[in-house]
Amino acid sequence: MSYAYLFKYIIIGDTGVGKSCLLLQFTDKRFQPVHDLTIGVEFGARMITIDSKQIKLQIWDTAGQEAFRSITRSYYRGAAGALLVYDITRRETFNHLTTWLDDARQHSNSNMVIMLIGNKSDLESRREVKKEEGEAFAREHGLVFMETSAKTAANVEEAFINTAKEIYEKIQEGVFDINNEANGIKIGPQHSPTNPSLPGATGSSGSQGGGCC
Amino acid sequence: MQHQYWVTKKSVQRKLGGKEDECVISSDAELDAKLELFKSINDSCLQLQRFIDLYQERLCFLAQEEHSLGRYLKECGKNEKNDSAGKIMITVGKSLAYVGHQRLTIRPPLVRLHQEVDTFRGRAVTDTKVTVSEMEKCRTEYRAALSWMKSASQQLDPDTGYGVDKFRKAQSYVRSTKYKFDKFTLACLQKVDLLAAARCNMFSHALVPYINALSVFSTKTTEVLSTASTNLDKVEPYDFHVTAELAIPNEDKDKETFFNADYTDEDKEKILKESESEWKGW
Repeated sequence: MSYAYLFKYIIIGDTGVGKSCLLLQFTDKRFQPVHDLTIGVEFGARMITIDSKQIKLQIWDTAGQEAFRSITRSYYRGAAGALLVYDITRRETFNHLTTWLDDARQHSNSNMVIMLIGNKSDLESRREVKKEEGEAFAREHGLVFMETSAKTAANVEEAFINTAKEIYEKIQEGVFDINNEANGIKIGPQHSPTNPSLPGATGSSGSQGGGCC
Repeated sequence: MQHQYWVTKKSVQRKLGGKEDECVISSDAELDAKLELFKSINDSCLQLQRFIDLYQERLCFLAQEEHSLGRYLKECGKNEKNDSAGKIMITVGKSLAYVGHQRLTIRPPLVRLHQEVDTFRGRAVTDTKVTVSEMEKCRTEYRAALSWMKSASQQLDPDTGYGVDKFRKAQSYVRSTKYKFDKFTLACLQKVDLLAAARCNMFSHALVPYINALSVFSTKTTEVLSTASTNLDKVEPYDFHVTAELAIPNEDKDKETFFNADYTDEDKEKILKESESEWKGW
């Protein structure tokens, strides 16, 4: 499948907030109540269409456990978008947001679009963090905010796609230098229709060739 | 082969006390706190054993000394010509010998406690030590795996597949070592908790006979000493006439006047003037 752009996303946040489930819901449209612990990072990808352009989202689902923290920091590099996830039923995951945000800002490029996500919105009865608190935090730190549920799929599509839209707008505005891969954006091998999906030896020469126009 | 390289590297680093990733260290905080508790249980048990050993030894010495002093006083009392002095010496001697004898009854429960602590150290502490060292071995392997994964993460591109195979290899190694490490971590946490509880349990059992022995000893010796004290009251007071002359009564008086008198310079001057006038008078 060919694409016009490839955006690199990372999903970050405390362990057990539902990062992997969000990814699974977005890529496979299914929900797994019990998920194995993520070791280091897992990858996911999906095509979306914005402005009638094919955009491939390459999503890096990072491990939330503290032991992996310094490893996951190396994944921030070259990400165009980040989903910062907390669990609305666990207050401490919300309290750790500033640490995550500092980490993300420190190890990524400054133009990275960060979306704040309060996950598990289906568990209204066990809610510990009010929606307003999430909104306030996002406003204070200049983030986009959304409450999602990986279980019911509520807002999951929107979260990923809105982030992509914002990145796309930034490209149009010229904020992102699309020829610099450190920004997490790659121009696709539009002229090679036989391109298989990942992983595998895709025409890397094609992707570079696409960059010159 | 590759993982052996990382394990060796990590072992050397841990042995030499090289700088470890702070996030990795803080993720082991609970375990490390528990290990501190284990260390303190181990150390304090060893200390306690030493103290009990010294204590029971000195207890024996003290009992022996009391006994011999008591016998000596009794002997002297028998040979004393003065009736009252003899009575006093015999009474004191008898009660001292008794106290010395009774003091020995504290020793058996102490020795028992010593044995209990010894068994506790030999069995429970040693067993926990084995688990802890197994855990440390797993920890080294796990941390080695993490370092490996970190290095494999440096250049990773899932779109082109670059470095993914290398990363997957490291990742599966992290998964297996993490599983083992988590298992041993849990075992350590549980064992140390159990160890702490077992120690409390041991003390609450082994200390009861000691406390009882102490209280029996105190009751018995109090009884004997108070009887002795009433007996001593009955004895005619010893006449200190002869010895009184050996004392220096003046010394005390001097002290009293010295400390009671308000010392002022004026007084001193007055005295000086008086003495001067006296001199003139001469």
